[in-house]
Amino acid sequence: MTTASIHEITLNLGPQHPSTHGVYRSILRLVGETVTSAENIIGYLHRGMEKLAESRTFTQFIPYTDRIDYLSPMICNHGYCCAVETLLGVEIPERADYLRVLMDELSRIAAHLVFLGTMAIDLSSTTGWMYCYREREKILDLFEMVTGSRMTVSYMRIGGVSADLTDEFEPACRKFIADFPAFIEEFNNLLTGNEIFLARTVNIGALGAEKAIAFGVTGPNLRASGVKFDIRRFEPYSVYDRFDFDIPIRTKGDSFDRFIIRIDEMVQSIRIIEQALNGMPEGPIMGKVPKLLKVPQGESYFVVESSKGALGYYLVSDGGTKPYRLHIRGPSFLNIGVFPEMAAGWKIQDIIAILASLDPVLGEIDR
Amino acid sequence: MVQALENIFVNIAAWTRSTSIDFGLNTSIADFVVLLLGIGAIIGLITFNAILLVWWERKVAGFVQQRPGPNRLGPAGIFQSVADALKLLSKEDIVPSQTDKWVFRIAAPLVFVPAIMLYAVIPFGQGMVPVDLNVGLFYCFSIASLGTMSFLMAGWGSCNKYSLIGGMRTVAQMISYEIPLLLSVMGVVMISGSLNMSAIVAAQKSIWFVFLQPIGFVIFFMAATAELNRGPFDLPEGEQELVAGVYTEYSGMRWALFFLAEYTNLVAMSAIAVTLFFGGWQGPFLPSWMWFFIKVYVVVFVFMWVRWTFPRIRIDHLMNFSWKVLIPVALANILFTGIGLEIYKLVGR
Amino acid sequence: MYGQGLLKGLRVTLGHLLGERITQQYPEKMPDLPERTHGSFALDAEKCIGCLLCKNSCPNRVIAIDVEKGEDGKRKPTYFRMDIEYCLFCGLCTEACPTGALHFTKDFEHAKYRRKDIPMELLAKKVS
Repeated sequence: MTTASIHEITLNLGPQHPSTHGVYRSILRLVGETVTSAENIIGYLHRGMEKLAESRTFTQFIPYTDRIDYLSPMICNHGYCCAVETLLGVEIPERADYLRVLMDELSRIAAHLVFLGTMAIDLSSTTGWMYCYREREKILDLFEMVTGSRMTVSYMRIGGVSADLTDEFEPACRKFIADFPAFIEEFNNLLTGNEIFLARTVNIGALGAEKAIAFGVTGPNLRASGVKFDIRRFEPYSVYDRFDFDIPIRTKGDSFDRFIIRIDEMVQSIRIIEQALNGMPEGPIMGKVPKLLKVPQGESYFVVESSKGALGYYLVSDGGTKPYRLHIRGPSFLNIGVFPEMAAGWKIQDIIAILASLDPVLGEIDR
Repeated sequence: MVQALENIFVNIAAWTRSTSIDFGLNTSIADFVVLLLGIGAIIGLITFNAILLVWWERKVAGFVQQRPGPNRLGPAGIFQSVADALKLLSKEDIVPSQTDKWVFRIAAPLVFVPAIMLYAVIPFGQGMVPVDLNVGLFYCFSIASLGTMSFLMAGWGSCNKYSLIGGMRTVAQMISYEIPLLLSVMGVVMISGSLNMSAIVAAQKSIWFVFLQPIGFVIFFMAATAELNRGPFDLPEGEQELVAGVYTEYSGMRWALFFLAEYTNLVAMSAIAVTLFFGGWQGPFLPSWMWFFIKVYVVVFVFMWVRWTFPRIRIDHLMNFSWKVLIPVALANILFTGIGLEIYKLVGR
Repeated sequence: MYGQGLLKGLRVTLGHLLGERITQQYPEKMPDLPERTHGSFALDAEKCIGCLLCKNSCPNRVIAIDVEKGEDGKRKPTYFRMDIEYCLFCGLCTEACPTGALHFTKDFEHAKYRRKDIPMELLAKKVS
């Protein structure tokens, strides 16, 4: 008589999959429906950005920074420009700083809307995804009014921003801010209180604070595990110290907490945008920067709070017009590092929910 | 006028029968000819349904998501299904080399067979039951349970781990949800006192059973959604987790057959729901079969509405829900229905 | 009551189902784009002074431009081509242009059937 045994099968959650956020690949070992181990395989979107930086001038590299975290491009521009400005020692006009903060926060809301939408659709609620993208269209229209592009904006320049607001921007932005709470309520009614959604996300994939810090997780994932760390408060840059906003913190660190914290962060971003619009000073939008930009020799590291975590730019200049070395600390690269630890022991459907709640962006992981 | 419209199908059947006898065929062969006509009508109905429901589902999905759905081909996009069918017919039939050939190929048409057989006992109108079985309801549920096998065949025969997981899930899901499906209609059987579908419709003359058995209806609806692999229970085709689950290796017309079968099943289950809970073909003014179809499409709409609202449920929650929630509630429903019937008999004297 | 979240969700979708559709029917209705949209490029050859700042500012070497000194000693462009395949539409070139000769237009429909048709000649070579 033959004895029955349970085999462990290897399943490839391949680069072509409806729910990996981009070309991300994972090799899962399954016993039945339960995942025993997961392995990250990345590099399918590697475009050689850091090497490209060595053959582009400082200003020419700005369009490439859009493509690092293509969901919140303004924040990536901001970090890079600040890294160069630290070495250059140039002073940014106040209006440029306010514009940068305003655009950063709009970008953050846009990125979190994509997160909500993809979290909804990964759990098979296509309708939730559509509603989020409907809201995101409004932000993309706002970006197009000011910069001319919707997604890859290249808005900021070394020393300031490239263009001032138009007349049609402010009424449209205020209308967006006023309509936003209604969207949050509609989305909460559709998904957040839904029993099926709660069953799929509450207590799934809990990440402890110590493990999160050990793996270098930053951003909303870290704050959902209870660690109060936000670069905008910890090391304020630009004019963030003049704004009044809260840092949402949640304690359990499960997928539901990571979901809710981003909704809370969007509400806080709305507050910052309103304060920025109300308090915007008049003045120039570009500091005194020579046309042919030569950055003095030295190295600098500048970190900004992107929608995914701490986005850092390490810049080494040799006194010429092109960077000698540029390294980008992509927050999603480290966030994904903790995924194999979090995935072990859960069912296939759970790890899809966990991966969605970590909110990776392949542009940051692979560069 | 309404009477003429009402009896149109019955008259056609009677005319065919009498004409065949006039042509010299004896009675039983004439009956057989009428039966063939009935089968032809049902197959026509199924094809019409499939084309209509593909369009209807996409329109409902679109409207829920604030977009118009198909609206380019024909007025309001009604020819979209025709375009889709033409496209799928012209696709290359890809059969992967490592599959279990016959299992893979038969699975797609096989899923149609139980779905079509269900139509035999449904009362489409007054006196319009193709085969008036005395155990009609029992026949329905036994045939419906055969559908599980073709999904398992598709899952196994595809030689693909995603399909295998999908196939295993299907078997677990469909077996788990057949029991609440059966138990939920026991209340209806107890009240009407018969398993015959026409008798159940006749027993709803004064009041529809959905008012007498609301919990029974809710359980039936949930179990039917799971049996149909729709809505929050579409785990076999878990697109976001298993790419296309059971259907991963199927392309072109084979894939289309699965979906046509799903829509056929959907209408069949809605028809059973209408017969058991919503009074069947009964209604004022309009012909009986028109009322029947209106009610069926309202129930189909509710199935679609539920599908496009909710996220998918996890496999172990699915099993827990069936065994630990639906079955006890259905059993309690039977208990209270029994008590209620006894009280009614005592009081009604 | 258990199930309230589910019912609220159903009410939201029913509301939208009976509401209006917000999709814009393109191409029957063209989108109303802002002034600054990065659509396509146009060169005002009269204003161009042949400074080559646009060519030097492009990250991807998209612009090909020939200049020659005219009779009055002023530099004038004779040929201007942009390889749109490689263009990032970042706008660094239009920003660099001191006279505003190179600017964006709102025309975003420049898909082509053949690859050789993609490069845009904003100023064709004169056949002499």
